[in-house]
Amino acid sequence: MSVLAVDKLGKTFPGRRGQQPVVAARDISFLVEAGGSLGVVGESGSGKTTVARMLVGLTSPDQGKVMVEGRETSKPERGRAARLRRAREIQMVFQDPYTSLDRRLSVESCLRDVLNRHRPELAKAQAAAEIGNLLDQVGLASKLTASRPHELSGGQRQRVAIARALAVRPRVLVLDEAVSALDVSVQAKILTLLNELRAALGIALVFVSHDLAVVGEVTDRILVMYRGDDVEQNATAELLRRPRHPYTQMLLSSAPGPGWQPERVAELRAAFALTEGRS
Amino acid sequence: MTVDLTAPVVTATSTRRRQEWPFYLSAAVIVLAVIAAVLAPLVAPYSPSQTDFAALWQPPSATHWLGTDQLGRDILSRVIHGARPSLLGAIALLAVATVLGVLIGITAAWKGGWVDTALSRITDVMFAFPGLLFVVLVIAVFDRGQVTSVLGMALAYAPAIAKFTRSIALEEMARPYVDAYRLQGVGGAVLCGKYLLPNLLPTLVGYLVVLFGEGLMSLASLNFLGFGSQPPSSEWGLMVQEGRTGVIQGIVGPALIPGLTIAIVVVATNVVGVRLSDKLAVRK
Repeated sequence: MSVLAVDKLGKTFPGRRGQQPVVAARDISFLVEAGGSLGVVGESGSGKTTVARMLVGLTSPDQGKVMVEGRETSKPERGRAARLRRAREIQMVFQDPYTSLDRRLSVESCLRDVLNRHRPELAKAQAAAEIGNLLDQVGLASKLTASRPHELSGGQRQRVAIARALAVRPRVLVLDEAVSALDVSVQAKILTLLNELRAALGIALVFVSHDLAVVGEVTDRILVMYRGDDVEQNATAELLRRPRHPYTQMLLSSAPGPGWQPERVAELRAAFALTEGRS
Repeated sequence: MTVDLTAPVVTATSTRRRQEWPFYLSAAVIVLAVIAAVLAPLVAPYSPSQTDFAALWQPPSATHWLGTDQLGRDILSRVIHGARPSLLGAIALLAVATVLGVLIGITAAWKGGWVDTALSRITDVMFAFPGLLFVVLVIAVFDRGQVTSVLGMALAYAPAIAKFTRSIALEEMARPYVDAYRLQGVGGAVLCGKYLLPNLLPTLVGYLVVLFGEGLMSLASLNFLGFGSQPPSSEWGLMVQEGRTGVIQGIVGPALIPGLTIAIVVVATNVVGVRLSDKLAVRK
């Protein structure tokens, strides 16, 4: 059964004075199984982050709905109990590890704060043990518990952010460009960690990124977005092997790597511009 | 080539310390003013209201270090005792204005939409109104006195604090950790009070310290005009007003000394406030 069901999600932002409204997302639909993962890729401005924010309820959609385990989560929640229940359904890890943690709180205080709110039944010693478990899960040394965000590296901060999201025990975890700000070796470690957590905890992942290669590492399916539209959606292996849409082909060719041909990228860009013009 | 080993070594630290002397001097002035306010009865040589008609308008001497006023009262003792109403007035003004301003600013930033528009327009209108004129109007309605002048002045200062708080709160709210708290199910009031406000404090404190100096000056101006503290208070602004009659006769001490005291404390709080803002901004 799908843990996350997104149906015809749409959002249009009003244009600035004298400008046209901006369609950030149009008819976006997908399903994610428990323990499954979906990648949302596209260039900057394609609407990926808007979709991610609509999934967690930070941006309200103009149309469509988001269901987690059959319950609609795209509407604003009123009351503490409803907000806490929503939190346990879906969590998010943000792009910038430098500003996504409260700078006043140490790693331990940050995690204890979440546990106090979501699992008040835990005694002090149990909460301490749980903090140890969480740090262990995300591969952080326990000696860092007293550290504040400014004392941690980008990778360590992102691990704390993941631990903070996991402390709530969510069913779905949305990662918005969660490894983009990190260097390549740290990216690889975080991606491995996400795969392990997905397998161990059965959490559904939605991985938003502009980087197809990174998305290919952690997802079963990929949704390609262009100017708010879902232009292609397929199983990861199939989409990477045989991209059907010219925009997906262009994205794949744009990724620098072995056999990267800049002239081919220019050719595809021109071809894609023609296709777009016809449609 | 010879090297003079006895020459003092100039390090970055010693240079920085030399550059920071205005800060340390200003901090010392503030500490001194606070000590005077707290320990006035113990450190002042005379009672502030003790008159001596045999020693009117006396110049500085061994018995009266800063001289006496038109009623023969010791000016040094009055300045020391005056620290209490002067500083307390400014603190009370700032406390009331801060509570009001921060509440309005943070609510406007958090709620956004029509709440923000309405609160911003109200503060804009109040901001455009000259503060002193506003207080004079409040005093005209509620009668003169220190409480009225402090509350009136607090209402005049609140819009500036509200505008400042709103702008730094909006900047802080753009940081994803605020969204992370929302996603954890933290409600608006708790989020603003427990998480957002403590993160605004470092920036806010520097601004408020500078504003404290301004508040002190404004209250002294009101007292000078006769709208605030009333005799026999030794509030510094009132002392300047009472010493005016001496200036006509060429005796400037009774007006100049409390005036200088106000100026020195205001400059000191400005220097400390600016330095504090810089330090806290770097740490942030």
